[in-house]
Amino acid sequence: MLDVHLSTSCRVYETFDHMKSFYLIKPYLLEKKFFILLGLACLIIVDFLQLCIPRIIKWTVDDLTAYRIDIRTLLIYALYIVGISILIGIFRYLWRRCLIGTSRRVEEGLRNRLFGHVQTLSASYFDKVKTGDLMAHATNDIQHIRMATGMGMVALTDAIVLGTAAIGFMAYINVKLTVFVLIPMPMIVLGARFFSKKMHRLYGEVQEAFSDLTEVVRERFAGIRIIKAYNRQQEAASRVEDVSKDYIGKNLSLVRITGSFFPMMVFFSNLSLAIVLFLGGRQTITFTITPGDFVAFISYLGLLTWPMMAIGWVTNLIQRGKASLDRIDKIIQTLPEIDDRPGEVILKRVKGPVVFKNVTFSYAPDVQESGLFSVLARIDINVDYGKILGIVGPPGSGKSTLLNLIPRIFDVSQGSIMLDGIDIRKLKVRDLRSRISFMPQEPFLFAGTIRENITLGNKKIKDAELIRAAEAAWIYDTITSFPKGFETLVGEKGIVLSGGQKQRVALARALLKDSSIMILDDPISQVDMETGDAIIKTIRSMAGHKTIIIVSHRLSAVRFADQIIALEKGRIIESGTHTQLMAQDKYYAKTFRLQEIEEEYAY
Amino acid sequence: MHTDFGYFEEKQLGKPYDVKLLRRLYPYTVPYRLLLLCSIILVVFITLLDLSLPYVTKIAIDRYIVPQKESAGNKRPDSAKDKVRYLKADITDPAIQAIVYKYSDRFEIDESFARISFDELSQLEKKDLAILRKDDLAGVTFITAIFLAMVMAGFVLNMVQVIIMEYTGQMIMHDLRVKLFAHIQSLSVAFFTRNPVGRLVTRVANDIQNMHELFTSVIVFVFKDLFLLAGITLVLLSINWRLALVCFTVIPFVIYASIHFSGQAREAFRILRLKIAEINTQFSETIGGIKVIQLFLQEKRNYLGFKRLNHEHYLAGMRQVHVFAVFMPVIELLGAVAIAVVIFYGGGQVLAETISLGALVAFLSYMKMFFRPIRDIAEKYNILQNSMASAERIFLILDSTESLPQVAPAIESGTTSGSKTQRQALEKISEVSLKNVSFEYVDGETVLKNVSLSITAGKTLAIVGPTGSGKTSIINLIIRFYDPASGRVLLNGIDIKKISTPYLRAKMALVMQDPFLFSKTIRDNITFGKSNISEPALQQILERSNCKTFIDRLPAGLDTVLSEGGASISSGERQLISIARAFARDPDLIILDEATSYIDSETEHKIQGALFNLMANRTSIIVAHRLSTARGADKIIVLNRGKIVEAGNHLELMQKKGFYFRLNQLQS
Repeated sequence: MLDVHLSTSCRVYETFDHMKSFYLIKPYLLEKKFFILLGLACLIIVDFLQLCIPRIIKWTVDDLTAYRIDIRTLLIYALYIVGISILIGIFRYLWRRCLIGTSRRVEEGLRNRLFGHVQTLSASYFDKVKTGDLMAHATNDIQHIRMATGMGMVALTDAIVLGTAAIGFMAYINVKLTVFVLIPMPMIVLGARFFSKKMHRLYGEVQEAFSDLTEVVRERFAGIRIIKAYNRQQEAASRVEDVSKDYIGKNLSLVRITGSFFPMMVFFSNLSLAIVLFLGGRQTITFTITPGDFVAFISYLGLLTWPMMAIGWVTNLIQRGKASLDRIDKIIQTLPEIDDRPGEVILKRVKGPVVFKNVTFSYAPDVQESGLFSVLARIDINVDYGKILGIVGPPGSGKSTLLNLIPRIFDVSQGSIMLDGIDIRKLKVRDLRSRISFMPQEPFLFAGTIRENITLGNKKIKDAELIRAAEAAWIYDTITSFPKGFETLVGEKGIVLSGGQKQRVALARALLKDSSIMILDDPISQVDMETGDAIIKTIRSMAGHKTIIIVSHRLSAVRFADQIIALEKGRIIESGTHTQLMAQDKYYAKTFRLQEIEEEYAY
Repeated sequence: MHTDFGYFEEKQLGKPYDVKLLRRLYPYTVPYRLLLLCSIILVVFITLLDLSLPYVTKIAIDRYIVPQKESAGNKRPDSAKDKVRYLKADITDPAIQAIVYKYSDRFEIDESFARISFDELSQLEKKDLAILRKDDLAGVTFITAIFLAMVMAGFVLNMVQVIIMEYTGQMIMHDLRVKLFAHIQSLSVAFFTRNPVGRLVTRVANDIQNMHELFTSVIVFVFKDLFLLAGITLVLLSINWRLALVCFTVIPFVIYASIHFSGQAREAFRILRLKIAEINTQFSETIGGIKVIQLFLQEKRNYLGFKRLNHEHYLAGMRQVHVFAVFMPVIELLGAVAIAVVIFYGGGQVLAETISLGALVAFLSYMKMFFRPIRDIAEKYNILQNSMASAERIFLILDSTESLPQVAPAIESGTTSGSKTQRQALEKISEVSLKNVSFEYVDGETVLKNVSLSITAGKTLAIVGPTGSGKTSIINLIIRFYDPASGRVLLNGIDIKKISTPYLRAKMALVMQDPFLFSKTIRDNITFGKSNISEPALQQILERSNCKTFIDRLPAGLDTVLSEGGASISSGERQLISIARAFARDPDLIILDEATSYIDSETEHKIQGALFNLMANRTSIIVAHRLSTARGADKIIVLNRGKIVEAGNHLELMQKKGFYFRLNQLQS
């Protein structure tokens, strides 16, 4: 029976050990291994000290039964208990500090790791994964893992040490009785195994439902203006109500398991008590054991109750932690699609052209099977160093995608992009990006000051440089008109700035960066004509020092480019200078004339 | 639009909660009071069962296992050492008689009774003992049966209680969550401008989740623990009040320790919560700005910032660990002191025969039980603080009444409020006007200065002007996202403050610069809650909004599910869907905010066509980004730095050769 108990504990350990995602928390456990060992030692000392107390109680009861004790001895017994308890207190403080503290470290380390990893993932990952999900991982899941390691470690050790010791002491008093008392044990093991499987699945479902809930709420708050403008508050609320109900349902099916699991553990341990009462009582009556033995037996059983429950509790905690750890592991296992290859070439200063060689790209890995068109097909471009390339084309024609290929936000599906004659996939991603200054179509601002948003926290940047960049982006006057100037806080996603202001702050950021290639995705779409033209003039003046690739819907912004390409459905349909394209009289010329006529009408 | 809202930092929230907050939570429990009552009654039963288990053991010991049946007559009360326990045997029973005679030298025999000391008793053979004490054995069997029955009842009751409680807790949380969501949603747009979405989501999802634990684990368990404490106190007093009172001397220390602890724990938890909120904010910002972070190689700096924050969270966590690591052993120690008191003082009482041995054993058991609830409450305090901190934040939001004031009597559809003529006057929008409107997002930074304009039914008004001149603000006022600082916005001559906002907005359709689409199907995004649109009507909407061609190209057509932010289709197509959405509302007034940015001329023509269809026979107000858009408008308002500098139609303005004319020239 002793073996049965031990094997339970082993099995719990096995689940713990065989978790494939265990490696994630291992480094932090190793880092704190001295604390863990100290903590476990203290815990074991506490356990053994705790076992002494029933011994003292047994002596007292036996002596009192036989009336062979005086007040002095009673006092000594009482002082023993107090003394032992003080020791217990000290050691208990130590293990709590060491073991629970370790779990806090695991939490910290894991969260850092998750955050660091999430940052390395490629843009395509974030198109697939919902923000709310990732947030849930960062808080709830990591918390569950912390609980599982901290309390899990404690409960597991307790269960083993206290369990074995209590069983040992009981066996010392009476082997036969001990054997009977342990009868409910296998049931606990079977129960724990049966329930833990179900729990694991249900915990996963509950957490998924929670993610759904988070995401639905997030989206509705993000779109609050539209909801308000369209009076859709009721629909929004009822959608939240639905996911909330779904979440409740998942919780309730979980609690049907956990709710019967814990009382069952209590039930089994009380069953053992009933056995002691019946058999132990009989044995005391027939003087097989002394009344003191009997009382001590009950005390030991009390000690065993906790390990028995702990097995249940630990199973639960670990199952929950495991579900969370697996979910985190899934993220950590996601490798960035864009990464350095072994044997990469070191890129110094770019002096040569940017060349697209027969580039094809599609978001789905297998174009044929997915039935989707490739976003870009057979693209050939050659931009010499210091020249300007303009890209035009209707929305969805692949302009932004094409730009995203250069800093390797995405990698080409077929063909290659060469920089200085080197395939960019052979370059270090970091090197490549450090040479590129990129302004995305939708300007993203961080919830800091304007200065932080332009310099991105680089304290080495001098005020003069900052001002020059702001002036070039035609945002300097606007900034100085704010009471706090560059120190103005812009709020989440730059919410206090207008669209045009945000765009120009993002442009200043791109202009400030020292780079060889500047990529601008529709940089003046949200600013007025006047400012837009001034900005384009500044950008043009930078040609010669760097290669400039610019996408714009406003053709006046690209007409001066050394080379202009027009994209349609992912293919280059026209290519040449403004004059050449005008002569071709196709998409570019038509669009240009259209805009010209519009402007003519403006007179 | 120039505004400088201070970034709304999470404030260190004010101090004492607990009772006041619990009182505020009470109303939410009212609909479920029956279930709660059920739960509490079950808890009472379970507690009674828990309490009686040691008592049953006491009875078993005192009555059968170590009986107290020594006869008074032969007691020698001189000293404890001379005391002897005796077993009485009824020798009228022939089986017992036989045994008594078998060991006649060990028994003292009266007329119908024989007695034997416990020391002598142990010398008897087991089978003889079994016969001699068969009543005791039967008694133990009987007691065990009762014990078993109670244990099983405990199991079932526990299970039922947990499920009922979980259900109740979940339902209360559900109500609170839905209410909180609806409340946040009802707050003015200014509130959303100041509070990051991530934080609001944390309130609705995580904070409510924390509160849930308050209901399911804390309330019932604290109740159970308190009940248990009271029950144990009573049992202890009834077993032996003197011994009980002596034991209770440790209680003041327990109370002192608890109060001291609660102060420390509260602070630790507060900081923890704060740090978690900051971590969430940074996580969500990083995900949102991942492209910029990666392109500008900001991973390292961003990571270091996060690491620092995370470490602060760790330190706060360690502080909490310390607080608990001190408190728990202190409580345990006090418990041990109480046990020592029972042994010393109670043992003396057993020697003085004031209490029985069984009573002492029971006392020891109850004393152990007595400290468990105290520890439990302390552990629950952990959750309680967490919940309370969450509750506080939730109520903080529920208390914020940052919605725009409604001047009574509000005019709504289908109600009798507002005069009949007024309601009739609002059936169809005939005129929208601004009268001397000034507006500012934050005090002292005027965005609009004394703006007056008006537009009549079926006409188109274009607002032009440089970026940041206040064009969008005018729209925000008309749709009543904000109220003006001074002046009035009028609909058919009625101040819109007097019109219920839903009714007002039902007459308008907004097409925004960023066409926010939901992660639903295209169909859902277009109908947007209006389920009464028939299929032919929908097809017509698609046709007229120029959506048909591209939607037909999609494999799942109208039922294509858009991913987060609607990223799976191009921005022009998103614009078209948002126009279709406006179509589906069939509004009187169209409000268009710079919907023409990002778009090339060809798609713009599609969009222009869709808009032309949309605006036909409707009143429209357009924030025109390009002057060409404004060209065809019936009236053009030229804004510069929050002031109207010119107004008129295109020709008039061109003839004026003023600001508008110059703007047009600059575009050449």
